[in-house]
Amino acid sequence: MIRELSYIDVLYMIAATRWTLALTAIAFLGGGIVGLLIALLRVSSFAPLRWMGGFYVLVVQGTPLLAWLFVFFFGLSIFGITVSPWIAAAASYSIYAGAFLGEIWRGCLQAIPRTQWEAGASLGLGFTQQLRYIIVPQALRLAIPPTVGFLVQLIKNTSLAAVIGFIELTREGQLTTATTFRPFTVYLIVAAIYFSLCFPLTQWSRWLERRLHVAR
Amino acid sequence: MSLVELKDVIKRYGQHTVLNGVSLTVEKGEIIAIIGRSGSGKSTMLRCVNGLEPIQGGSVSFDGTVVNDPATDLRKLRQHVGIVFQSFNLFPHLSVEKNITLAPKVVKGIAPQEARSLAEAVLRKVGLGEKIDSYPDQLSGGQQQRVAIARSLAMSPQLMLFDEITSALDPELVGEVLKVLEEMARDGMTMMLVTHEIGFARKVADRVVFMHEGKIWEQGAAAQTLAAPGTPELETFLSAVLH
Repeated sequence: MIRELSYIDVLYMIAATRWTLALTAIAFLGGGIVGLLIALLRVSSFAPLRWMGGFYVLVVQGTPLLAWLFVFFFGLSIFGITVSPWIAAAASYSIYAGAFLGEIWRGCLQAIPRTQWEAGASLGLGFTQQLRYIIVPQALRLAIPPTVGFLVQLIKNTSLAAVIGFIELTREGQLTTATTFRPFTVYLIVAAIYFSLCFPLTQWSRWLERRLHVAR
Repeated sequence: MSLVELKDVIKRYGQHTVLNGVSLTVEKGEIIAIIGRSGSGKSTMLRCVNGLEPIQGGSVSFDGTVVNDPATDLRKLRQHVGIVFQSFNLFPHLSVEKNITLAPKVVKGIAPQEARSLAEAVLRKVGLGEKIDSYPDQLSGGQQQRVAIARSLAMSPQLMLFDEITSALDPELVGEVLKVLEEMARDGMTMMLVTHEIGFARKVADRVVFMHEGKIWEQGAAAQTLAAPGTPELETFLSAVLH
């Protein structure tokens, strides 16, 4: 049954955006925890830990996020484990975002000159103390712009969660299209909503980057 | 017992031998100037003393503690051995005060109020009392290097290592840093300094150590050794540096 596209549909789409935001928040939080761990593994002075971190990044960056969603949501049910969409999404997005954030943050940690670690060590600071008081505060400033940049990617990638039943922004658009048969208008609205989420972040990231260059 | 003892120290980077059997003792209160061409192993030797460079043979000990023993707590050892680097290596995100007080607070656990007066005291020693709230990038090279010295002094070390600390400075800034070293020498600090300032070595050092091809080629009382080198290599080196 085809009906007219109305303001109600737009409101539905805006309402569905809350799932997009919720998924982004979960992905960023989970990915942040995993990413921190991966970044620390990758800068460890103990080689096997570095290899573990490297292997993780290699595997995750070399597989599609969609595959992880399928594995967690459909794959595990073969073994009789029922996974709720939230758990499946949280796990998949954490794994995925963790690999990318881990690599971003590793790069930032490694951008701090070796001599800064050395100066800390020479004053009697241990590894974690050097990291906490000398390396991380400096790396953090470098990390903010690329991290915000990745956050923008993450917002857009939450649309993949539609395949395991989330009715987030993109999926809501699909459903609206099915009933109104106005794909062009509907997807323009969807795109505009994504843009209104991402644009301020992109601008913020640019601004941070500029400020960083001035401060150096 | 000597404060520092190096015995037949071997240091290799892959196939390349940087230190080829270096033995040296430093007594408490002594000031040793280490000279030699770049690549002769001077800086490497200095960095072995506080364990920044692991060694492949021989032994290094400080105040009876074997530095290259894996069981040695290097963190503890480094509280007693200060080092100042050619490129200052101040922490750019911290003020001068925080640069100086980080290690005393974190490593030694001194109180915040005490930390501020400690920073004031060591900054006075290097003549920078008014710069306590500045950031490193607001200071000249000479001032940064003096802050780096103050930062080391704040840990009240028994030995100070100086790794070509004036080499990265503009010529007109070298003097202010050397003046600080002279004052430390007068206070009786034990110092090992890698330097290209031969005049300074002659004036301040008790002993000069000349390194060549990873070995201690020649050493002796500063004034005497520099005036009358015993080996052609030192003679060549001195005439190259002094002209």
